[in-house]
Amino acid sequence: MDGSFESTLRERFGAASSGAAPGMMAGRTLEEWNVAYTRVERYFHALQLRNKVVLGQLVLHVLQRAMERAPAQLQVSATELAVQEMDRIIIKWFAEILGSAPAARGLLATRGRLALLLADMPGQWQDQFLVPGPWPEEFVQAMRQAYLRAGPEFQLTRMSPRPLDLGGMAVFVNLSQTGRFKGILYSTWVVFTLLLILLFVVLHRL
Amino acid sequence: MTLETDLAPEHGAELVLTPASPAVRGLRLWSLYSCAVLITGIVSALFADLLWRTGWSFSRTILLVLFVLLLFFAAIGFMHAVYGFVLRRIDDLQAPPPIQRDDTIADTANTAVVFPIYNEDVRRVYEGVRITYNSLKSTGQGGRFDFFILSDSTDPEKWIEEEKEWHNLIQKTGLDSRIYYRRRVENEGKKSGNIREFLDAWGQRYRYFIVFDADSIMHGRTMVNLVNLMETHPAIGLIQTVPGVFNARSLFGRMQQFANRFYTPMFIRGLDYWSQGFANYWGHNAIIRTETFMKFCALPQLPGRKPFGGYILSHDFVESALLLRENSQVWLAWQLDGSYEEAPPDMIENAQRDRRWCQGNLQHTMVLGARGLQGISRLHLIQGIFGYLASPLWLLFLLTFYWMWLFKRFIGLSQITVHSWMGSLELGPAEHAFLVFVLCMGVLLVPRVLAVVDAFFDKERRRAFGGMAHILVGTIVETAFSTLHAPLQMLWHTRFVVTILRGGTIDWGSQTRAADGTSWRYAIRHQWWQCAVGLVWGGLILWLMPATFIWFVPLFLGMVLAVPLSVLTSRASWGDIARDFGLFLTPEETSPPPELVALQARLAVAEQEDLGRRPVSFLAQSVVDPYLNAIHVSLLREARLNPASAEALERLAPREIDARRLAEKLLARGFEALEPRERMIVLSDADAMAWLHRQLWLHPESGMAPSWRAAIASYSD
Repeated sequence: MDGSFESTLRERFGAASSGAAPGMMAGRTLEEWNVAYTRVERYFHALQLRNKVVLGQLVLHVLQRAMERAPAQLQVSATELAVQEMDRIIIKWFAEILGSAPAARGLLATRGRLALLLADMPGQWQDQFLVPGPWPEEFVQAMRQAYLRAGPEFQLTRMSPRPLDLGGMAVFVNLSQTGRFKGILYSTWVVFTLLLILLFVVLHRL
Repeated sequence: MTLETDLAPEHGAELVLTPASPAVRGLRLWSLYSCAVLITGIVSALFADLLWRTGWSFSRTILLVLFVLLLFFAAIGFMHAVYGFVLRRIDDLQAPPPIQRDDTIADTANTAVVFPIYNEDVRRVYEGVRITYNSLKSTGQGGRFDFFILSDSTDPEKWIEEEKEWHNLIQKTGLDSRIYYRRRVENEGKKSGNIREFLDAWGQRYRYFIVFDADSIMHGRTMVNLVNLMETHPAIGLIQTVPGVFNARSLFGRMQQFANRFYTPMFIRGLDYWSQGFANYWGHNAIIRTETFMKFCALPQLPGRKPFGGYILSHDFVESALLLRENSQVWLAWQLDGSYEEAPPDMIENAQRDRRWCQGNLQHTMVLGARGLQGISRLHLIQGIFGYLASPLWLLFLLTFYWMWLFKRFIGLSQITVHSWMGSLELGPAEHAFLVFVLCMGVLLVPRVLAVVDAFFDKERRRAFGGMAHILVGTIVETAFSTLHAPLQMLWHTRFVVTILRGGTIDWGSQTRAADGTSWRYAIRHQWWQCAVGLVWGGLILWLMPATFIWFVPLFLGMVLAVPLSVLTSRASWGDIARDFGLFLTPEETSPPPELVALQARLAVAEQEDLGRRPVSFLAQSVVDPYLNAIHVSLLREARLNPASAEALERLAPREIDARRLAEKLLARGFEALEPRERMIVLSDADAMAWLHRQLWLHPESGMAPSWRAAIASYSD
């Protein structure tokens, strides 16, 4: 391990690990932080951050923030601490780059993620993601102007059916919907059958 | 001159769609149908004479009536083919048919290109949209067109996949490509309701709209031509192109494709000869004048219960009838090529499509007598209805025939034949029957022969279909297959008609496809009864009427072989073999247009990609994936801007239903824990979906449903 990386690690985790028992960091086991690391890394994977250097730096940054909070919240797991921190960092960054107030977090989170996609962060701007400003103007504009148009402006109207006189068929259908129709139908068949029987009997007696 | 060569832009005069004068059109209509009546009259008289020679009876009356009806409609088809053949030959001797050459569109001629879809193969649909878009863009006129994918999908997996692929599509074509996506919350009124909701929201923005089917594609030049034809002919309300079937691979699909491309142009010429501005609409691959359509074609609900009441299912025929009622012309633009659609790849899918069309066409009996419709519209409707009623009538004809035969056999009386009315023919009963048979076969088969003769005189056409030898063999094999397929169609259609009239439905289940077409199990499940009918029918004939057995072999052989025919003809490998032998080639195969080449290449790539890809649940992705979730939520929020969608969303999830509570249940137990309607409620709630995404990633894995753990784990290196 070279000296500069060692110093970076010390700088990042020094506070969290100083005085901790072996196998523990910020009051949690190494395995717990490992699980937290995986979860944060997976979210960044889901955001299509593919550059390992950028990815590694961001995950460590999130974990460092989580470890800083960890001693004060012993009842919260390392994973929860890490993803809460990740969520805070992302929302704050969205608010800054989009020039929005962070209050409406629900709207901001969706808008921010959509902007990342439409501005092609995964393809062109991975090194800018979650980095404090100022950012390249092109990236800022791409983020702020990103809007998914599912359709042009509405010009609302209402098509209304014109009357269609179905002629005799409508009369038949209306008749068939009356309660008496089935009765008439069945009666007709019964009468017809009786007539046939009568005809048979008469013809055979003659 | 073939349809293919009609397209060369350097030939021909400007296409003008001016109808013949009413007198001329009337004369054409009268002459074509009179010829059909004449043929029916002559052959029916011979048949009646044949029946008369062995003594008249009530069953003979029924047989004769059925014969006249069936033969008349066959004769109408025959006359269309004869007229079409003659017209095509005359065209060949004269100047080339006119074409539309103008390649620029006026600034004001905004046109929407709409793709109504319903639980389709998403990749296929979007590749079709992309190919059509790129083709249009290459004409330089793309700026006048907006594309709309109008989803009516009820399968949530399809819904999310459509959104994902839509985003992929606009990323590839450019975010300024004006390809839009809209999904309806409720699919009220099915396809016509889908179009209507589009028109309610955006119709006023567009002077025209071109309707596609999910599997349609069209050349950009053809679309530009359609718009220009509408621009130069303000009296036209609708122009229907004649879509050529393409992209078939299975043997069944290739035979249907060949039949469509080889025989149809002749029938279409015959049809256009008399319809002339009074043509029909087939529901897709057509351009429509928006204002006229919106004014006159809002379809009413029909009174009464299903199958005849309710929404008009086969809306296209009725919409063209309503346009014609208002003196807006409807044309069939057979001159324009570059319009394509796909056909079902196997017999069972073909029957499923027929089932839908059957119900729609039978429903037209309600509209048939509507006041104010043009006579020609009624003619179109009657022909559509009879297309399905013919099957039960044919079955009835056969049963009546067998009844007569058995009756004669069991009463044991000897048959005394009398002289024919037509004494001068001097025919014995057997020769007389044979003459009737030959004439009937002529009515059925001559159109095929004419198509071959037409190709014989047309070098371009011969080459386009792979040469004369291949045409001949292809026609013979296709005719033999049609002979075996026709009795199966008869049984299927009869079942459909009876089921529909009883108000029932047919459960097709889900297709369990083999690697290459229909699986044996699926075919047996759906066609065993046809096989059984064939065995019983053939056995009875062999037992009771052995002398005539050979004559009826084509009838029941198709039924007996229903399952193997269905399975084997569904095989793409068999289709490939036929292609290697040069059988059933079509112009799109011998000299494929670039659009079709591109489509096939993209579909092949997609197939390869799918092979190596893990199956994904788009539902789970809509929650887990940060981008897909953002797209979905964003589309839901935009949908709320349309009052009609907002109302439908309110109806889907009334205030007493708490989407958040359902989302919590979903989070704890996965999508499997929700009822289908509950899933739709959560998926349709933008806030719940945004909340779910955040909670899922904030939640410790220990308390999660296994499906969520798997979904999150899929985002690893």
